Amino acid sequence: MSGRRARRTAVTGMGVVAPNGLTAETYWKNVKEGVSVLDRITREGCEHLPLRVAGEVRGFDASALIEETFLVQTDKFTHFALAAADAALQDAGLSSAAWTDEPYSVGVVTAAGSGGGEFGQRELQKLWGKGSRFVGPYQSIAWFYAASTGQISIRKGFKGPCGVVASDEAGALDAVAHAGRAVRRGTDVVVVGAAEAPLAPYSGVCQLGYPELSTVEDPARAYRPFTSAACGFVPAEGGAVLIVEDLERARRREADVRATVAGHAATFTGASRWDRSREGLAQAVRGALDEAGCAPEEIDVVFADALGVPEADRAEALALADALGAHGGRVPVTAPKTGIGRSYCGAPLLDVVAAVRAMEDGLVPPTPGVFDVSHDIDLVTGTARPAELRTALVLSRGLMGSNAALVLRAGTGSAL
Amino acid sequence: MTTEVTGVTVEELATLMKQAAGVTVDPRELERRADTPFSEFGLDSLGLLGIVGELENRNGRALPTDAERCTCPRAFLALVNGSLTTGA
Repeated sequence: MSGRRARRTAVTGMGVVAPNGLTAETYWKNVKEGVSVLDRITREGCEHLPLRVAGEVRGFDASALIEETFLVQTDKFTHFALAAADAALQDAGLSSAAWTDEPYSVGVVTAAGSGGGEFGQRELQKLWGKGSRFVGPYQSIAWFYAASTGQISIRKGFKGPCGVVASDEAGALDAVAHAGRAVRRGTDVVVVGAAEAPLAPYSGVCQLGYPELSTVEDPARAYRPFTSAACGFVPAEGGAVLIVEDLERARRREADVRATVAGHAATFTGASRWDRSREGLAQAVRGALDEAGCAPEEIDVVFADALGVPEADRAEALALADALGAHGGRVPVTAPKTGIGRSYCGAPLLDVVAAVRAMEDGLVPPTPGVFDVSHDIDLVTGTARPAELRTALVLSRGLMGSNAALVLRAGTGSAL
Repeated sequence: MTTEVTGVTVEELATLMKQAAGVTVDPRELERRADTPFSEFGLDSLGLLGIVGELENRNGRALPTDAERCTCPRAFLALVNGSLTTGA
């Protein structure tokens, strides 16, 4: 493309609301120590569901973090996103002074897999219990996939390009790529993230139809991808928000460049067609490497999708071999999400945060609860493994058939 | 349905703003700034629509369609109270 300037995308801030931590640092501490917080579901109205184990975000006090005018018109999935966005902006050293005079310089992109289920359930109960006149007007916006993007931008006064990616779990990696494109087209800063809140009665019931859902009752056995005991995945709530910005701009303002977004690609291979996800995932990896100008051997760590369904795990292990060659069997692979569950679109964003922190600390975090790996990959288990990490590959697949790969480069040294 | 209807006071409007839209406003402030746009109090159009719905449910009758288009407390109270007390 002619005229394409080499605007590159830097990650300068990260905010997290996760089952294992309400800040990015607590999240990372527990991830690197391999702590699992999977537990029996305690959410009211969920006790009788065959879904027994989940990654619940506990101790999150929305009213202490978000103004009441925003709370009344938003679902919990947006509360998580608003809180994580605040944390990410603060982490990036950006306060309102940075955008008050230039509101068009900041955009927002989020990904969502299910929208505001709990809010929607409450209003639907009013509809069927009392009648249509008792449904609150905010139902029109609170359940919607786009709610978090809108509310983050309204609350902060951002007027730059906004977007929502509704493309399955893997769509969160697509959202990061979309944010990168917005930066390349000239937006200085993009707030990009995904958070979900699928642990409520109605949302829980919606998930029961997924054949990939784990219904195992023992938290220690419920989510064990890449093992012969793999029995599906455990859902979770929470997510993460990143601040991405033009690398040169980040340097000029002397921001801490945590990482750069180097490459991305996405493919689609059909709902629950896990055999075909081998080809789809491999193609996504090739595309991401190509965009990053990165050789397979340069990948120092892989954050796996790790669905926990035998056929899907096999497909992912084979995809790594297909796309990375012999290096696919040597590169350290990890799946920290076995300790917290999969918060749908939030999951790959949390993996991105873990990848950035892993590169900063030179530490591949382990895969909690997984010990007996039955595939030809070097899955890091037990304790974190020290390693020099300059390039990370994050993989994600969605239950509806999306596959995506994202290549991140370390913030200092070789990437710059 | 015959419902005893009384007018909506500024105090009640303040309570409704809190209930329906999470807006905290002192009734005296609301009265003093009755011509100030609702948006300046932090009340958006959906919030006002929620207040209209609540009043309609409470009184068992519809308010004029213009009710949710009122832009300030004075206009809203005048329209709503006019409608409620005349039984329109």
